[in-house]
Parts: sequence; C-alpha cells; structure tokens
Amino acid sequence: MSQQPLAGRDEAVDNAAVAPLSNPRRLLDNPRVLGWGSVALFLVVWEVSARIAGVSPLYLPRPTHIVVALIELFRDGGLTIDLAVTLYRIFAGFGLALVAGTLLGVWIATSWRVQAVADMFIAALYPLPKITLIPLLIIWLGTGGPFMLTISFLGAIFPIVINTVLGVQQCEPGLVLAARDLGATQQQIVRRVLIPSAIPAIFAGVRLGLGVSIILVVAAEMVVGKLGLGARLYLSGQILETEQVFAVLIVLAILGIIVSKGQDAIDVWLGRWRTG
Amino acid sequence: MSASEVAIEFKDVGLTFPSAAGDAVVALDNVRCRFAPGKVTAIIGPSGCGKSTLLQIARGFLAPTRGSLRFFEISNAAGTVPRPAMSIVWQEFNLFPWLTVMENVTFGLELRGVPRAERDARAHKAISAVDLSGFESKYPRQLSGGMKQRVGIARALVMEPDVLLLDEPFGALDAQTRLVLQEQLASLVETSGTTAILVTHSIDEALLLADTIIVMTARPGRIAEEIDVALPRPRSMATTHDPNYAVLFDRIYGLLRDEVMRAMVIESGGQS
Repeated sequence: MSQQPLAGRDEAVDNAAVAPLSNPRRLLDNPRVLGWGSVALFLVVWEVSARIAGVSPLYLPRPTHIVVALIELFRDGGLTIDLAVTLYRIFAGFGLALVAGTLLGVWIATSWRVQAVADMFIAALYPLPKITLIPLLIIWLGTGGPFMLTISFLGAIFPIVINTVLGVQQCEPGLVLAARDLGATQQQIVRRVLIPSAIPAIFAGVRLGLGVSIILVVAAEMVVGKLGLGARLYLSGQILETEQVFAVLIVLAILGIIVSKGQDAIDVWLGRWRTG
Repeated sequence: MSASEVAIEFKDVGLTFPSAAGDAVVALDNVRCRFAPGKVTAIIGPSGCGKSTLLQIARGFLAPTRGSLRFFEISNAAGTVPRPAMSIVWQEFNLFPWLTVMENVTFGLELRGVPRAERDARAHKAISAVDLSGFESKYPRQLSGGMKQRVGIARALVMEPDVLLLDEPFGALDAQTRLVLQEQLASLVETSGTTAILVTHSIDEALLLADTIIVMTARPGRIAEEIDVALPRPRSMATTHDPNYAVLFDRIYGLLRDEVMRAMVIESGGQS
C-alpha cells in the first residue's frame, strides 16, 4: 500500500514516453483525442437529447438514423454516383484553373505590361461573388458539363493567379542574379527559380481556390443539377427527407475534412526545405 | 580549374545612374585598370565607392555608361577575345533554399547540359574541396553561415570559371568563421591558379588573398592606388607576422582612412 503513490508516478512517466492511453489527464493533452472526442461527445448529447425530448425527426433526426440513411443512400440510392459526379466537376475545373492560373500569374508577375492590363480585370472580377455569375453562365452554356466546369474554374483561378503573382514578385532578387550567373536563360529562371520560390504562395492560393470551387459547384448543383451532392441535397430537402439532408451534409463535411487535411500534408511536404 | 590566359581591361569606365531624387549619381568615374590572368586582384574602398558595381560590370550584368571593357589574351595584348567564363560568390550566399547542397552545386552544370554522372563527380569534388562532404543532402536552412558560404564557393568553383568574382564573400559572417574561411580560400586560390577579383572591406582579407590591391576613393569611385602584394605564398594567418605585412597594412590603411573620412562627410550631406 505504501508503494502505491510511487507506482502511480512510474506509470505516468511510462505513459508519457510510450502511449498516453490509460491516463485520462494525458489524453486531454492530445489534440487529436480532444478533437475526435468532442465530436463523439456532441453526437452522444444530440442522440440522447433528441430521444428524451422527443423532437420530430422531420426537424432533427437522431444521428443513428442519419447513419442508417447514409448507408442506404450509398447502397441503393446512387449517392456514390452523386459523389463521383461532384468530385469530377470540382477537380476538373480546379485542375484547369491550377495550370492556367499559375501560368497567367507568372506571366503577370514577369511583365509589367501584362500586369497593367490584367490589373483592372482582376480588380473588377476578384471581389465579385462568383455565384452571381450562375444566371449568365446558364444563359451562355446551359446547365450541362461545360457550365459546371466553368463555374469550378472561375472559383479557383482568381486566388491562384493573385497568390502566384505575389509569390513570384517576392522572390529574392539575389536568387535570380545567382541563376543568371550560373548561366540560366530567362525561361530557365522562370522554371527553375521563380516558380519554385513561389510554390508556398501558389499553394496558399490553391487552398483558397479549391474551397471556393467546392462551394460553387455544390451551389450550382442545388440550382440546376440533376446529379451531384448539391442536387441530392436540394431534392431531399424538397421532399422533407431530413435524414437524407443530414446524410449528404455529412458527406460534404467529410469531403471538407479530407481536402483540408490532405492540403496540410502537401503543405508540410512542399515546405520541407523551410522547416523540419 | 583551367588556368586562364585572358586578362580584363577597364578602359576609362564610368557609370552614372539616375537617383530617386532625379539627379544623376556618379557611381564610378574614369576607372582604368587591368586584371591579370591567374592572379588575385582585390578591390578595397569605403562603403558606397562602387566596388560591387565594378564587379557587376566585369560580369556583364551592368553596362558602363562611359568607357568600355576589353578582354584579351596576355600573349596577344593588342587583340580582343570574347568574355571569359565567370562565376560569382555572393555576400548574401544566394543559395536556392528549396534545393539541397548537392542540387545547389549541380544547378549550373545541369543548365549547361552536363551529363548526370559527370555532374555528380564534379560536384562531389567541389564539395569536398570546401570540406562539406557528408552534407550533400542538407538544405541551406540546416547549415551555419560559414557552411552556406562554402556551398556558395563550391557552386562557383564547380563551374570551372576562368574568372572567379568574389563580392565581399565573408562580409555576412562572424569574425572567427571569416578567419578560417579566408585561410581556406587562400589555399584554394593558390592551388587552382584561377584569376580572381575580390571585393572586400577588409585589409587583412585583401593582404591574405591578393597579388594586387586596388584602393578606391569614396564616391564617385575612382582608383586611388594600385599596390603589389609581394608577400610569400602559401599565405596563412602566420603571414600577418611578416614585417612587410605591417608596412603594406599601414600604407593601405592610410589611403583608406582619408577616403572613409571623406565618405562620411559626403554621407552626412556636409559637402556636395
């Protein structure tokens, strides 16, 4: 008995060194446990309170029912196709914007004439909420694939262009001189110095741009789509299938988590020469 | 490194550039000098005398507004040859931070299209010449200032330039690191027999490395005097005990002191 405090202290030291599993206070020091734990707690409170208060599932379905609805949607409701269609629309438009935006940004940053021309257009179009372009784009392109691609492209390209310009302009002039000294041509300076040095800034633009692309594609699907997560969300709402609405929202939320965690990982990898 | 035959001549070179205030600033005026092949020439002078500008003109990054540059072979002093190959070692290192030591050193060779095997062999040789073997896969961020500049020197040497341009190469380093690197560079230069132009603030650095020292005046930069450094080689920190060393040091210091005083008056706006 007299040795117990000592044993307890040893255990704490061991846990800190190996895996903080059994000590609850250590668990709360782990940000991952804190993050997932609070989500779990939130769901439990939701489930229990909805059950106790007897809220109509029309307004607030219980998490367990939402999960069942989600599984059913995936199994025989075609949600897999909706997800695939939405992802394709987002990433096709975004991919085009990434290539075009980086090239355009480098061009603007390396030529004051191009900058002078582009400046006014960017100043006018960048702050414009892209969602306001949906009616015009529908008139021009209809509601099919080209429309979705364009809306996703427009959402992503401005942040990418603007951040590329900033990144290239912030490149240390000494690095450009050093590359010239080592025999680099103008084109090699762009490819081997300006773009690599701008990559952290370009990636910051990618982050913003992809977020806007997701918002715009889902919103456009809600307005005109027959397929896609946005369309599914809207249709489920109209027929008061609240469980399905929540199920689609969960898919969107998980998509958001995957995208932003993926970006974090890419960020760390790209910045390995800056930290770590 | 090839022992170059090509000498560089500055013929009454002047450089004037417009200042922000609108009037013209004379950076260099009437500079007439020769840089002999296989020799180290140091350029020393007060801050803002146009030392680095002179180096940029030699490299071809700046065009003189008056006078001209001529390259010729010492065996045919009347003729003219194209600009010899040059590499710069920078005061601020200017290493590419997203490339490893190895990738920084092979950068120029890669641009030149040198095959990979040869590239790697030459880079390893240059990296070991500056005592950085084992650090090939480090990023510049992971190196100390002195190590960074050794990468800078390796990156310039690997190009096997006819002329090595050293722009205050140790200006950003602490005093002890500087001493060690000066000694290392002195022995590298002695064994390679390369032509080198060294821009520096430090009389000691100039005396340790140079065959000839050009002392420049405060702005506008002119040549005050050219001094032959007849100290025996190989030179090291022990050279500082040579009686001639003190004589040369005092002579250069005497010249510089007047110019530095004048530069301070100009900078404070006390005299136009």
